Amino acid sequence: MSEPILEVEGLVKHYPLTRGVVFRKQVGAVRAVDGVDFHLGRGETLGIVGESGCGKSTVAKTLVNLERPTAGSIRYKGEDITRLSGKALKSVRRNIQMVFQDPYTSLNPRMTVGDIIGEPYDIHPEVAPKGDRRRKVQDLLDVVGLNPEYINRYPHQFSGGQRQRIGIARGLALRPEIIVADEPVSALDVSVQAQVINLMDRLQSEFDLAYIFIAHDLSIVRHISDRVAVMYLGRIVETGRDAEIYDHPTHPYTQALLSAVPVPDPEAREHRERIILSGDVPSPTNIPSGCRFRTRCWKAQERCALEVPALAVPAWFEAAGGPAAHDSACHFAATVPIRRSAPGQVVPPEERPGGTV
Amino acid sequence: MPDGRHEPEQAIAGTGMGGTMDLGVDEAETLEKRPGPDGTGPGDRPRSLWSDAWRDLRRDPVFIVSALVILFLVLISLWPSAITSGSPLTCDLSKAQQGSQSGHPFGFDGQGCDVYTRTVYGARTSVAVGVLATLGVSVLGSVLGALAGYFGGVWDSVLSRITDVFFAIPVVLGGLVLLSVITSNTIWPVIGFIVLLGWPQLSRIARGSVITAKQNDYVQAARALGASHSRLVLRHIAPNAVAPVIVVATIALGTYISLEATLSYLGVGLKPPSVSWGIDISAASPYIRNAPHALLWPSGALALTVLAFIMLGDAVRDALDPKLR
Amino acid sequence: MLLEVRDLHVEFHTRDGVARAVNGVSYGVDAGETLAVLGESGSGKSVTAQAIMGILDIPPGRITGGEVVFQGRDLLKLREDERRRIRGAEMAMIFQDALSSLNPVLTVGDQLGEMFTVHRGMSRKEARARAIELMDRVRIPAARERVRQYPHQFSGGMRQRIMIAMALALEPALIIADEPTTALDVTVQAQVMELLAELQREYHMGLILITHDLGVVADVADRIAVMYAGRIVESAPVHDIYKAPAHPYTRGLLDSIPRLDQKGQELYAIRGLPPNLMNIPPGCAFHPRCPLARDVCRSDEPPLYEVSPTRGSACHFWRECLDE
Repeated sequence: MSEPILEVEGLVKHYPLTRGVVFRKQVGAVRAVDGVDFHLGRGETLGIVGESGCGKSTVAKTLVNLERPTAGSIRYKGEDITRLSGKALKSVRRNIQMVFQDPYTSLNPRMTVGDIIGEPYDIHPEVAPKGDRRRKVQDLLDVVGLNPEYINRYPHQFSGGQRQRIGIARGLALRPEIIVADEPVSALDVSVQAQVINLMDRLQSEFDLAYIFIAHDLSIVRHISDRVAVMYLGRIVETGRDAEIYDHPTHPYTQALLSAVPVPDPEAREHRERIILSGDVPSPTNIPSGCRFRTRCWKAQERCALEVPALAVPAWFEAAGGPAAHDSACHFAATVPIRRSAPGQVVPPEERPGGTV
Repeated sequence: MPDGRHEPEQAIAGTGMGGTMDLGVDEAETLEKRPGPDGTGPGDRPRSLWSDAWRDLRRDPVFIVSALVILFLVLISLWPSAITSGSPLTCDLSKAQQGSQSGHPFGFDGQGCDVYTRTVYGARTSVAVGVLATLGVSVLGSVLGALAGYFGGVWDSVLSRITDVFFAIPVVLGGLVLLSVITSNTIWPVIGFIVLLGWPQLSRIARGSVITAKQNDYVQAARALGASHSRLVLRHIAPNAVAPVIVVATIALGTYISLEATLSYLGVGLKPPSVSWGIDISAASPYIRNAPHALLWPSGALALTVLAFIMLGDAVRDALDPKLR
Repeated sequence: MLLEVRDLHVEFHTRDGVARAVNGVSYGVDAGETLAVLGESGSGKSVTAQAIMGILDIPPGRITGGEVVFQGRDLLKLREDERRRIRGAEMAMIFQDALSSLNPVLTVGDQLGEMFTVHRGMSRKEARARAIELMDRVRIPAARERVRQYPHQFSGGMRQRIMIAMALALEPALIIADEPTTALDVTVQAQVMELLAELQREYHMGLILITHDLGVVADVADRIAVMYAGRIVESAPVHDIYKAPAHPYTRGLLDSIPRLDQKGQELYAIRGLPPNLMNIPPGCAFHPRCPLARDVCRSDEPPLYEVSPTRGSACHFWRECLDE
């Protein structure tokens, strides 16, 4: 693997819950991100998957410095960007850009497309001399597959997929090395999603971009990612290369998540077995002790309530090697036989959960 | 509510219509780069939301009528002599309370002054008070409200408490107390009083719409680019938060005009020899049985003016936020 | 047939023009059968459902033609009060967004009980008992205590269960579920779909499942109707469609699902954009995006050709599409 350009260590983001208007008193905290470590290599794609409220979007916001982490470090080429401010922060920002989920709210309706894509040059005038900007913006429109003559149009004149292209063009303007994409296609129609994924794929090789690709759609994440991290309630519970995670998951949550994904193959439904998790995700204000997944886990034992499992290669796999030997935060990490029914899809482990709903 | 709110695609699916459909442009990697889509596009002329709003307004009869009334009021308050030859201060007691007669269509009031002339000159006071007070209220209110909304935290708490205090002051009672100590007979104390009591309303609106606009992803996007506070506020937040402020300010303008009349009626706003509809209504009310016309005309002018501004505000709101309809 | 929609047409009149949302949709569903209506936003799938339920906003909507025959009666010819009696009692609907479909100021027990007090004339006490029973049925834990709680005190998955309970309350013959699990997380989605399918079997109801998710469809549907630009472009038993689609749009949707063997390659993408309903392309509405399009597609609107007795495709070149 290439040398990491982004290293995240012990990332924590807590939002205090306060009561009282004049005299605020902290009564608790939403532990949105609660100790996350990962790294990203040049030109690599790291997919982050997880359900709503698992903290994946908060991670994205801290990476582009929209939120200051409560603790932990984010090192870009060795430099901790969480401590930066002013000029130094601004120049780091050039290199880490973001693509947003909602193409309807992420473009300012009062600005023309040209102004939106050109704004990065207004903020970082050193990148492009003034006279050059219009041409640069038109080039960007062309790169993302839009007509350069649309430069004077307003966002509401475009469809969702086209707006997302505009958002991507804005992200590209400063020629960043890293793009953080937070659910970039989940607001789009199925037939348009593939177009945008292809565009992102093409841009990655063209501009040597590294992506943090955040999504809840597991098949899309698998398609685009080199490595995948699965998040649950503010932590990464399992991470590894895409095939390791999708074909040899060892964490029960990952196994349940994969088995729950509906498979677009009706033949599969007769012989598929699903792990149906009981209950709901606990509130991030009140995280269970020990392993945070234990309240929904069919394997949970006393040890899980007492001891927080570390995210590491389980000892019993480490010796054996192979695809199961990847980081998994479970005391009882185990592989399950996976039957593949449709290409790119995974059908179900045989192990049955104790408490089905 | 700021306009241009985002509408999820699902909602579009639900109604079978939506903003995305006004483009039939081919997009895909194989995009054919032609300037005008084949007759399905919105035309090549770029349209901003403001120009859309203006297009709607021009077709709205409510807007046209109220705008014409307001235009007329502004014109006569700038050049009252264009439609009246008399002076509002030349009165002839011998004609007191007389009805309509040649050259004096509205008749005379209790002092024998020409009601027509006084009503025309009264517009000047009303428009001046309304416009200047609204300007003051808007500037003070929206700046403070926007700062509180944008920076939040302590700023916000303090401002909210202050506005609460102002909201607790009864307007008329406050006027009677504060203005009665002022002897200057100009429009300034009245304007000052309205601004003092009016800004909290605007600041609440501005604060709310700034908070809504601030949460939009495009503001986050600009922040992620490293945009400065001034850029975020001026370029991204203000243009998207200003619509509700304009609407409320337009409607408030009407109510400020009536507030001025109320204060003058009570004798603490403008006092004779100033000319104001409120003064005239006050002066005419004792003679309501003998000379109802002296009361009717200034009251009618006042009602029409207030109504025109409120209607204008409604029309502007509809145009800026079609989803509210 | 429990429900049969015949040649339904719906338009929306907006200030920018007339949007033709539904243009001659016909489909049917039997008791105990699950029909999946698959389509993207603007395909008219939800509008059709609203027309069936009689909850279309008129205006701006307007039904300009067709029949909705339910248990032998054309619903579109009934008076509003007659339709109201059918709604809820004989056909019920489940929406995507359970939070906004439930009244926030009433307890879930009151809202469930209302079904019985209004439609069945039960006493409040009886209704409360039935509400608890229903909540048990949809497996809401501690129903007896939670019956007194308000919608916001439930999680998304639990709220969707309450919506299902409400729909089931009067044991309707038909349920229309409009994207019932789209707003839910994958693991919760599986729970809710399983529950819905099970209850449907138990009550032998007809189920119309409106969705854009090919995975969900494959999991539960018996038949599929694929909609595009307000028309049915393909209608078939579920196994046939996934094995060999007979319409290029269906094929495109299936092909754009990321596949393992395509990793690192370009995904198949249907080119272009969904059509503007104010200005639907002449001929076959899909022709500007279709890889098989020829001249005839630009001029002649394809009828729903019979591919087999149980299967139809609105493509002039369905044979070619099948062979591919």
